Amino acid sequence: MSFVLSPRTVEEAVGLLAELPDALPMSGGASLVAMKNARLIEASHFVSLAGIASLHGITATDTGLRIGGMTRHAQLAACDLLTGDLSMLRQAAGQIANRVVRNMGTIGGAVGNADPAADYLAVLACGDAHVELTGTEGSRLVAMTDYVTDWYETLREPGEIVTAIHLPAARPVPSVYRKLCRVPGDYATASVACASDGDGVRVAVGACGHGPIRSREAEAALRGNLRDPVAIAAFGAALADLADPVDDVRGTSEFRLRLIPRMVAAAISDLEGKR
Amino acid sequence: MPGKQVFTLDLNGRETEVFAPADATLLDVLRDNCALRAAKRGCNQGVCGACTVMIDDVPVRACLTMAGACGGRAIRTLEGYGDDPVMGRLQEAMNASGGVQCGFCTSGLLITARNLLAESPRPAQAEIRSALSGNLCRCTGYVRIVEAIASAAEEVAR
Ligand SMILES: Cc1cc2nc3c(=O)[nH]c(=O)nc-3n(C[C@H](O)[C@H](O)[C@H](O)COP(=O)(O)OP(=O)(O)OC[C@H]3O[C@@H](n4cnc5c(N)ncnc54)[C@H](O)[C@@H]3O)c2cc1C
Repeated sequence: MSFVLSPRTVEEAVGLLAELPDALPMSGGASLVAMKNARLIEASHFVSLAGIASLHGITATDTGLRIGGMTRHAQLAACDLLTGDLSMLRQAAGQIANRVVRNMGTIGGAVGNADPAADYLAVLACGDAHVELTGTEGSRLVAMTDYVTDWYETLREPGEIVTAIHLPAARPVPSVYRKLCRVPGDYATASVACASDGDGVRVAVGACGHGPIRSREAEAALRGNLRDPVAIAAFGAALADLADPVDDVRGTSEFRLRLIPRMVAAAISDLEGKR
Repeated sequence: MPGKQVFTLDLNGRETEVFAPADATLLDVLRDNCALRAAKRGCNQGVCGACTVMIDDVPVRACLTMAGACGGRAIRTLEGYGDDPVMGRLQEAMNASGGVQCGFCTSGLLITARNLLAESPRPAQAEIRSALSGNLCRCTGYVRIVEAIASAAEEVAR
């Protein structure tokens, strides 16, 4: 039996989670309540984060943007601050589920849940985002590229919550999010986030392993060779080598491994078209 | 009774007290305690859209909303649109065009369609289709539903 608690501050929320070992945080409930309905989880309490003002909203900081954990997908899908190399985040938010679910689900819940197929993970890894984690001891920042450690495992300690996502300020260069899915609104079979970076690109692959896949070495090797199909193919192959996709209803592991180089090449060519 | 609690809800403009299991969803409470059965329990996973209701003027899934998280929020179900002429037009158009067959998805579709017309009084076909993408219908093939919404919108805007 999960009782709903509605704290008004982050301190109160993490205090409750520390006190109640069988409680779980709840943001939009879009995944949590679905799991409850399917009897996949047991929790003594759901600690709702919806009433905590500091978790709402997108603000400019000294270094870029701070996106509060309770920011809904619908808000990000319509956010004018997400331009240039951050426009991929806006594109990804607008492709999650459907409009009604986008009114419910949040970036904090999606990153907290760390579903390997969640659309934000690749975008945030590509965008050099940091995850702000807060517990009773205070807050810390973890790079998105390090955050996911195994299937549904992250650097988030029990009792910590995702309070915000930090992104560097938008740069006026193109970015793209490519999602391959069986029907619009489904989770990705595979996805690619790609942002222009001088004479190179930053790329992260989603839904093809326990976490987003990014290789700074492969990106360095591709630098200056964006018009060379052989170099692009080698880059895609290097990312596929790092992938560890599952066989599931959305596709076989082998299918996903074949998709990666093609989707990466397509995303890079999208960027060339946007210049 | 252990595990039950009183929820005070702002439901269709009326303050309503409900005694229900602490982990009830809004959909459970609407159907099982309030006899408001327009919202349907289809997938109970947020996929099918049959339970769509408005909270604070935003369409959401009642099946994914905990009743205990609804305090102080204005909930409106299809039953709360009795005096809304636009909803009336949508209902008539759905009936007339054959957009209703078994009827299971209809309430959720109507809420979604009503919200669409609030945002966009004369939506293009593509806009209607995109708005409906989170409402599954297993009978009609959607064409008549899209036509019904377009014709109701046209009449209302005239
Ligand atoms: C029909 C449907 C289709 C979907 N399709 C997609 C899709 O295409 N792509 C996609 O990416 N997602 C999809 N989702 C998931 C959706 O993005 C959810 O919004 C997301 O999983 C998180 O939901 P939420 O924010 O409501 O978090 P909740 O459901 O409240 O929580 C999810 C999990 O994260 C934990 N949690 C919640 N908040 C925090 C926090 N701040 N810190 C730490 N842990 C937290 C909870 O305890 C729970 O375990 C879909 C969901 C539905 C219902």
